[in-house]
Amino acid sequence: MSVTSESAKTVSPPESRPAEPVAAPQLGGMLRPRFFAAILSVAGGLVLWELISWFVVNNALFLAAPSQIAVATYHLAVTGELWKHIKISAEEFALGYAIASVLGIAIGFAMASGDTMKKALQPWVSGLNATPTIALAPLFILWLGIGIWSKVLVVIFFVLFGVAINTEAGLRTTSERLIEMLRSFGATPRQIFFKVSLPSAVPSILAGLKLGIGRGLVGVVIAEFFGSRAGLGRLISQSADAFNMPELFAGVVVLAIAGIVMTAGFGWLEKRLVPWTKD
Amino acid sequence: MASKLAIARLSKSFGDLEALRGISLTVERGEFISVVGPSGCGKTTFLRIVAGLEHASSGEVLLDGRVVRRPGTDRGFVFQNDSLLPWRTVLANAIIGREVAGSIGAADRKRTMELLKLVGLEGFEHYHPRQLSGGMRQRVNLARALAIDPEILLMDEPFAALDAQTREIMQTELLRIWERGKKTVLFVTHHIDEAVFLSDRVLVFARRPGRLQAEVKIPLPRPRTLDIKRTPEFVALVDRIWRMIEDDVRAAALYENA
Repeated sequence: MSVTSESAKTVSPPESRPAEPVAAPQLGGMLRPRFFAAILSVAGGLVLWELISWFVVNNALFLAAPSQIAVATYHLAVTGELWKHIKISAEEFALGYAIASVLGIAIGFAMASGDTMKKALQPWVSGLNATPTIALAPLFILWLGIGIWSKVLVVIFFVLFGVAINTEAGLRTTSERLIEMLRSFGATPRQIFFKVSLPSAVPSILAGLKLGIGRGLVGVVIAEFFGSRAGLGRLISQSADAFNMPELFAGVVVLAIAGIVMTAGFGWLEKRLVPWTKD
Repeated sequence: MASKLAIARLSKSFGDLEALRGISLTVERGEFISVVGPSGCGKTTFLRIVAGLEHASSGEVLLDGRVVRRPGTDRGFVFQNDSLLPWRTVLANAIIGREVAGSIGAADRKRTMELLKLVGLEGFEHYHPRQLSGGMRQRVNLARALAIDPEILLMDEPFAALDAQTREIMQTELLRIWERGKKTVLFVTHHIDEAVFLSDRVLVFARRPGRLQAEVKIPLPRPRTLDIKRTPEFVALVDRIWRMIEDDVRAAALYENA
């Protein structure tokens, strides 16, 4: 089929019609039905859990019902004990996570900057990433005492390598086509880095940081297991020693909620910072 | 007056593969030149050498009498795939060449806006590439090359990825824009029809090794509309070029399928 010049002149060409701008996510779309599915799934799970606790297990030493956990959490909150634990754990997490993020991104940049750097750093990153950090946690406590820094170090170990590996991968997988485009304008390596490599690595850097949230929370709890005066991990191990299942679960639930909220926050941030990856 | 572009005995080898052998030609200011040939005739390599993205094994390229060694803002390259930065708006994409050359001011922004209007993207300056169709992305690609006000436009099969109708629209659009500024254009394509429609001269390349086989003048009057594609003169020109490369194209097709 050929286009005659008349039709080309009078009919607006299909490709010149604008695509609708991608609309901002609307509230209505978020509430139904995906959001509904999440609510239903959580509520259903809780009901099932409650029923199993009362009618199948029915032994407070093995399993606490959600209602008992809620009551225990409430008491812990009212007495102020819960906040004390949360504050300690939050500080350990925030410090470790922040340091690991900065260091991890820096190491990723260094590894992507050249083959010599990559060769020098890769064995350390791969080796330490595969090291079972749990085994090192008691050692860190011996070195740094049972204060905050031993926990911070464990969190760093849990978060750092994922961030470094993702950053390096993001920088390395920059599209050759885009680099060449910038090169055609006579861009310097520095300009190529800042205008192409860095922005195109942002999605994978964010992915590394997002994974780090869960790993960092696990790190806090493990570190506190091995020696601490307070913190959610301490609360959990104390409760386990006392066979106080409702309080043990209270600690677990708080951690789970922290993980869910922070990961969701990250999802929101990703939509803002790297909207082009969401198509 | 000296030629805009002068190429002398240009050769290029990749290891044992001889991609280009002894290409010599001149292009005058404001000329629209197309390069056609079968796959593997080195036409894209040729364009990349002129752009400075690739180095010749021997021979030289002179633009306005100066030897081309590396990429620069005296040449605007239009890529086959649009190569737009997905995180930048249309305007920010189009202005990137000027940004690389130095800091950009209000005047650069204004000029780039005007160019976007010229290529038919008025009102889309703040859209992102993912919101645009393939044809619109190629318009940004073209505006980006024009924004540095290059001495010569180098176009590497810019419409190859578009559907047939969009391609024809883009061809007339390109001619309309070219008539305005009369930039010198070097246009690589594997569509003979497209080359004849757009060009003052068509350079026919042959393969193995890539070399300049013939040069065909296109004496069709300008301005041209799509109607011209149905005139006997047009059809005869396309046919003549096709017969020059037919055997080569068949050989290339066999080689690629083997």
